[in-house]
Amino acid sequence: MANGDANNDFLCPPNDEEYAPAYRNPSHYKPLHTFKLPSGQEKHYKQQYGDMYFLRLARLKPAAEQVAAETWDGFSIAGERARRVERVLDVRQGELCWVAGTIYMDMPLKPNILEDLTKENFTLAPAPRRTYIDSSNPEATQYMLEDESGRLRLTGSLLRSTQLATGAVIAVLGTENSNGDFEVVDIKVPDLARQPHRWERGQAPETEKKGKIAFVSGLGITGSSSDTLALDLLTDYLLGYTGTPNENEGAPPDASAITRLVIAGNSLGANVTAAAASTENVAAKKAGTKKYGYDASAYNASPINQLDSFLAEILPSIPITLMPGETDPANFSLPQQGIHRAMFPQARAYCGPPPSADNQTPEAGWLDSVTNPWEGDVEGWRVWGSSGQNVDDVLRYLDFLDDGNEDAKNGDVESRIRVMESMLRWRCGVPTAPDTIWSYPFQTHDPFVLHSCPHIFFAGNQPRFKTALIEGEEPPLALNGNGTDTEMADADHEAPTQRVRVLCVPRFQETGELVLVDTESLEAEVVKFGIFRGQEEKE
Amino acid sequence: MAVDSKKYLAENVLNERRTVTYRLLSRVLKVHSHVAKRILYDFHHNENSKKTNSVNATYVITGAQHPPEPPATNGNSHESDGDDIMQSSPYISSSMPNQDADADTVTTSSIILVREEDLEDAKLTFRSISSIHVYSLQPAALQDLNILTDVSRETLATYAHEDPLEYGKQWGMIQNQNVKRRTGARPPPPAASTKAPSNITVPAKRPLQNDPPKPEPSKNETVEQKQPPQKEISQPPSKPTAQPAPLKKEKGNLFSSFAKTKPKQKKEEAAPAASGAESAAASGAEDLNLGDASEEEPEELFPDSGKPASTSNRESRKEREERLKKMMEDDDDEEQGNDADEEMPDIAEPEEELEEPAPLDEPLPLPEKQELKEEVTVQGGRRRGKRQVMKKKTVKDEEGYLVTREEPSWESFSEDEPAAPPPKKKPAMNVPKVKPGTKPGQGSIMSFFGKK
Repeated sequence: MANGDANNDFLCPPNDEEYAPAYRNPSHYKPLHTFKLPSGQEKHYKQQYGDMYFLRLARLKPAAEQVAAETWDGFSIAGERARRVERVLDVRQGELCWVAGTIYMDMPLKPNILEDLTKENFTLAPAPRRTYIDSSNPEATQYMLEDESGRLRLTGSLLRSTQLATGAVIAVLGTENSNGDFEVVDIKVPDLARQPHRWERGQAPETEKKGKIAFVSGLGITGSSSDTLALDLLTDYLLGYTGTPNENEGAPPDASAITRLVIAGNSLGANVTAAAASTENVAAKKAGTKKYGYDASAYNASPINQLDSFLAEILPSIPITLMPGETDPANFSLPQQGIHRAMFPQARAYCGPPPSADNQTPEAGWLDSVTNPWEGDVEGWRVWGSSGQNVDDVLRYLDFLDDGNEDAKNGDVESRIRVMESMLRWRCGVPTAPDTIWSYPFQTHDPFVLHSCPHIFFAGNQPRFKTALIEGEEPPLALNGNGTDTEMADADHEAPTQRVRVLCVPRFQETGELVLVDTESLEAEVVKFGIFRGQEEKE
Repeated sequence: MAVDSKKYLAENVLNERRTVTYRLLSRVLKVHSHVAKRILYDFHHNENSKKTNSVNATYVITGAQHPPEPPATNGNSHESDGDDIMQSSPYISSSMPNQDADADTVTTSSIILVREEDLEDAKLTFRSISSIHVYSLQPAALQDLNILTDVSRETLATYAHEDPLEYGKQWGMIQNQNVKRRTGARPPPPAASTKAPSNITVPAKRPLQNDPPKPEPSKNETVEQKQPPQKEISQPPSKPTAQPAPLKKEKGNLFSSFAKTKPKQKKEEAAPAASGAESAAASGAEDLNLGDASEEEPEELFPDSGKPASTSNRESRKEREERLKKMMEDDDDEEQGNDADEEMPDIAEPEEELEEPAPLDEPLPLPEKQELKEEVTVQGGRRRGKRQVMKKKTVKDEEGYLVTREEPSWESFSEDEPAAPPPKKKPAMNVPKVKPGTKPGQGSIMSFFGKK
C-alpha cells in the first residue's frame, strides 16, 4: 500500500523551498512530405484509380518475387518442379507454378461502386459496416489474384487461415484445377522493407539524452464541458504542473523528458458537426431566412476553439505534430491533408512559415499540422502512422472469429496488432485505399507503399492500447520463413534485423491514456488520466 | 507575493463560494504551482480545524494502480461476439483503469482526480502512490467535477494576456528553449463562446488583483449578457420616432400590397401612444427582428414581459395578421360563419388599408377591440357562453414542416363562477413562438430587404 512518507510533498504548509525550473530536451524532428498533395489547381480528380494498383504492383512485385524465388526455387512436388510464371494469364492448368499479383477480394457486403451505379443509387457515403464478411454465407467471399493481364480465382484452405485484404501484393504457389481455380499451396509476401539506421537523415546530436515521444489520439473534444477534465489533467501533466520530483516506483515519467507530442487524429468529437447540422439547419429553415456564407447559428465553433486553446496552452512547452482524423475538419479521402492553421487563431502563431510560392517545403513548425497518414523522423527514428482508418478498414476484411482465440475480449485488439504487422509485411500502409477507403487518385506514385520500414508504426483511435515488437527476417539467410533472429545489438552490422515498435494508440476520450515511447529502447508505457468515480458508482 | 494568499482564499472560497484550483491560485499569486498546492493544503487544513467541513477539496493522486480484476459477466458477454468493438462495453466507459491482463509488461501510471470524500477509497486502488496534491478548494462538495474544467477555462481566458513564454517559468511550467513562435500580434484571447455553455458562477473578475488587467474577456461576457436590456434603456426616446418612421414608410409604399407590412406601420403609430422608453424597447426589438428573425427572438421576450401595454398592442397586431393571413389562404374557418358580426370589422380594416395607406396621425384602433372576446348569457345562475381562446394548431406548411401556430377560436363554456378575465399575459409570452410559424410564407422577403 501507499506509504505515507514520500507522497506528502504537497500536503504540507508552504515553505521557502525554491523550485528549479525544468527544461525540456530539444526535439529532433524531420518530417517527410510523402503524403502532401499538390495544392490548388494542380490537384486533379479525373485520373483512374487503376493506375494506383499498377504502380503498386510494379513496385512490390519484384520484392514479392524475390522472396518467393528464394523459397520456391527448386521446389518440387512429386517430381514436378515449380515454375515461375510471369503473368497470371500464363498459368496453365495442372502445372505446378508460382505467380505474383495483387489480391482482390470480392465480398458480398463490400461497397461496390459499379453496383451503386447500375442501381442508380447515388448515396453520399455508404454507411460503414463492421465487417464485409457475410457470416451467414462465408463461401461468398472470393479471393482473386490480379495483375495487368487478368484475374485468377484462388482457392484452398490456406486462404482461410491467412490474412489477406484487397490491395496486398503477394506471390502464390500452386496449380490450376479443373474448375479454372488456382489451388494455393503456399503464400509469400514482400515482407519488411529495408529499415533505415537511426539518424540516417541528419546528424545525431553529440550529447544523447534520454527522452520520450508522446502519442495521443481521439481527444474527442465536443465543446461541452463534460469531456475535458481528463484533458485538463493531461495539460497539467505535459506542462509539468503535476510534477513528481521524486523517483518513486509507479510514478509517471518526468514530463520534461517528453520531447514531442503526436496527436493522431479525431481531436474533435464525432457527433459535433453532424448534430449541429441536423438540429440547427431545421431551425434555420423554419425561420424561412436563407443565409449565404458563414451562418453562426448552424456552426458550433466551440469544439475547435477548445482544441485551439488546448494546443495554445501546451505549445509554449512542447512541440506538437497534429494529424487529422476521420472526424476532424480536413478532407475525408486519404491522404488527409493537415488541418488548416486558420482553424487555430491562438495556436497558429506556433505554425511554421506559410508555404512560399517557389514550391519549397518550408521548415517544419513548432505546431506541425501534418497529413494522415504521416511519415517522418522523430529523434532519429522513422515514424509512420495513421489515424486508424487503415486498420479499421482492413479489419473488415478479416474474420477473426474462428481462429481459436479463446480470449475473445482481447481478440479485437490482438487482431489489430496483427493487421498492422501484416501491413508492414505487405509493405503497404493502406492496402485497401482505392477500394474501400476513399483516396486521392495518384498517378505517378503510390505513397501508401512503405519504401522503407519504419521504427515506430502507429495507428490512432484504437479501442485499447496494445503494443508489440515486430522483428523482420533476414532475407539472405532465411530459407524457411523463420530464419535467424539476430539481435540488433550493433548498428554497424551488415544487414541488421528490422525491429518495429507497433502501437495501437487508444482513444483518449474513452480511455484517458497517453502513450509514451522511450527514444532509446523504444519501450512503450502508458500514463492514464481519469476521475475516481467512487461516489457516483455508489449512487 | 502580490496578494496575500489567505485573504484571497478566504474571500473567494468562503465568502464568494467559488472554486479555486491550484493553477488559478498560482496565476493569481504569481507563484510556482507546487507552492500553490501547498497553500491550498494549508488553507484547507486550517479552515477545517477551525470548523469542520467548511472547505472541501479535490485531490490528484499520482502513482501505479492495481490492475482491475476483469469482471466475469463482462467477459462472458464478449465471448458471444468476440469481434465486437470494445466501446460498447461498460468496462471501458466506467473510466476505471482497463489494462490488459497480458499488458502488465507495459508500465502504466495513473493520474487520477479524486473528491475529498473518496480519497481513502481511491488510495486503495493504488499499488503505489508517488504523490498526492490538492487540486482545488471549494466551499462544498462538487456534485459534478466537470465544473473544474470551467474554472480552468476561465483561468486561461482571464490570463490570456500573460504570455506563457514569459510567465511560464514562474508557474513552474517546463521550459523549452527551442520554442519557435512567429513574431507578430499576440493571438487574440479565446472567444467568449468557449465559456458560454456554462452557467456556473465561477470567478469572473478578481477584485483583489493588483495589476489592472486589460479588458478581460470574462468581463466582456458579463456585459454582453446584460446588453439587451441596457441597450434599450440607453436609447434616446426620440430615436425610434425619428429613425424608423421614414424608413418604414418608404417600405410601406413599396410593399403596400404585402399584408405583412401593415403591422409594421401600425407599430409606428402605436409608438407615440406608448411611453418613450417602452416604444424604444419595442421598436428596437422590431428593428433587430427585421435584420435577423431567428436569432433575436429570445431577447424580444425581455422588454415585452414587463410592459403589458405595448404587449397587447403587439398581440393585437399578431392576431390581425393571423386572421388576415388565414383569410388570404382561404382557410375555411367556422368562426367566420358563426360570428360574422364579430369578424367583419377586422376583415374590413385591413382591406381598407390595402387600398390607401393609413395616414400617420390616424388614431390607432383601440387595443381592446382586438382583445379576446366573450359572449355571455346568464341563465339560471349559470353563466353560459362562448369565448374566444387562443388554440394551438399544428399544421404542415407548404415546405412540409410542421408549424405550430396559435389561432383564435371559439369555445363554449358554462360555469357558475364569474368568468375570470382572460389571461392577457399568456399570449404575450407566446409571441416568439408564433413568429417562426408565420414567417415562412411571406415574411422572408421583408427580412431580406430589411437586412442592411
